[in-house]
Amino acid sequence: MSATLNTTPARRLPVPRRRRSAGWLVTTAVVLAVVVGVHVVAVRETQFSPGALVTGWHGIWSFLFGDSKTVGALPPDLSWKIVGPALGQCLVTFSMGLLGTTFSIPFALLLAFLGARTTSKNVVVYQLARTMMSFLRAVPAFVWGLIFVTAVGLGPFPGVLAIITHNTGVMGKLWSEAMEETDRGPVEALHSAGASSVQTATHAVLPSVVPQFTSLFLYRVDVNVRDALTLGVIGAGGIGFYITQAVQSFQFNVMMTYVLMVMVMVIAIDLLSAWLRGRITQ
Amino acid sequence: MTSLTTSPALSVRGLTKRYGDLVVLEGFDLDVHAGEVVSILGANGSGKSTMLRCVSGLTRFDAGTVSVAGREVRSGELVPEFAMVFQKIHLVPRLTVLENVCAGALGRLSFWQAWAPRAFPTDVREEAMGCLDRVGLASRAHDRAGRLSGGQQQRVAVARALCQRAGVLLADEPVSALDPAAAEQVMRLLRSLADDDGIAVAAVLHQPDLARRHSDRIVGLTAGRITLDTARSALTDAEVDALYAPDYAAEGDLV
Repeated sequence: MSATLNTTPARRLPVPRRRRSAGWLVTTAVVLAVVVGVHVVAVRETQFSPGALVTGWHGIWSFLFGDSKTVGALPPDLSWKIVGPALGQCLVTFSMGLLGTTFSIPFALLLAFLGARTTSKNVVVYQLARTMMSFLRAVPAFVWGLIFVTAVGLGPFPGVLAIITHNTGVMGKLWSEAMEETDRGPVEALHSAGASSVQTATHAVLPSVVPQFTSLFLYRVDVNVRDALTLGVIGAGGIGFYITQAVQSFQFNVMMTYVLMVMVMVIAIDLLSAWLRGRITQ
Repeated sequence: MTSLTTSPALSVRGLTKRYGDLVVLEGFDLDVHAGEVVSILGANGSGKSTMLRCVSGLTRFDAGTVSVAGREVRSGELVPEFAMVFQKIHLVPRLTVLENVCAGALGRLSFWQAWAPRAFPTDVREEAMGCLDRVGLASRAHDRAGRLSGGQQQRVAVARALCQRAGVLLADEPVSALDPAAAEQVMRLLRSLADDDGIAVAAVLHQPDLARRHSDRIVGLTAGRITLDTARSALTDAEVDALYAPDYAAEGDLV
């Protein structure tokens, strides 16, 4: 009884030369040259120098462990008189991010429907909606915040307005892309049955993208809470404002406490939204 | 024809697989000799694909033995003698046809011998060309795999199995996603691999007529057990209907 298993390798054949046109080589060379060139300019413009990081080590040392006029970041001050009030400020920051996201839903939804090829048939409307979303998105929440502070004064309210404005652009774009990625089949089926484009949007597109919409929404809450933090720096309150104050008074141990609290909050939100997204997309 | 004195290329005895309380396979036996094509038929959920996955080592089994040319294989062990061909083909569409075929040799190469798809040694690339020639696609070696038709892609997947130097080809619904002409060509290729190269082929099929025309033997599975094992010519329509009865039941009545 002998085993008869054919495992002889196939006979070898020469590999034909891969024909590459001169055009391909030129294109590759030009693309490479441009990419390298752009990076050389960028390094010069940003004065990028790892050497400065090394020579400035004593600055980092006094940040971490303190010197004559600063209190070092280590160990962080975990006493209740610091942590207690900061908890309330974390809630303010979280609320800014949450409201900024939920209150932008109607505007984002409208722009998403007008700016998705699947649902928007009129080219002019489509282009206008895309431009609008690009504009809202191009201006960071931070800058929107500076604008709204001049309108309604300091505090969390202009922060919420800033996030609503910026997030409308971002979420509108993400949602419109989610709609464009859906299967065109059901839309075509309802269209052939005589449904209008608004009807196909509400009867075929929207029901199909609910999981993606929810998932993107949760992702945006996550991002916007972090945006709310930076808005605190320009006077929108919350934990971001506390961090700025601690830095300005050289109390790095207090700042470190706030940073740790922010870290815990962000991780908690991230875990919660990841868990929710997992349940939705199942 | 293979003589009865040689041990089969693939031998399965008492294969059993459970998912919790659900018994997917129970006491499954199968012999496939070198040069033989065996088709496995059965309704959806009868355990056909699970059987192939257990044999190939992609899924662990709970009891039974799997042997290749007389040597026993542990549950979950991946052996080079077994090559899988999938219903959804599973080539890397952005790589070239040749690079996809070369990937069949990865099991016998170290990481540094082939650290990237562009970096396969010359002898592997030449062997892969031979495998491509065997399936009639040598002229497409440098095309992107994704640009080929479904049937051509499945032939590339077979070439990848050849480049693995596998003696046993396990095909999981290899032609279900193909049009009739492409399906016929892929089945002829599998048949000729058995006839001309002495490879043992076990194919899960959904088309009884293809099984009748291209295989030596047909095995029928119902709810994880063998209910049919016959030469292809002996397969009756009544037997086929009985095998697929669960599917008709599952689809429900037209009222």
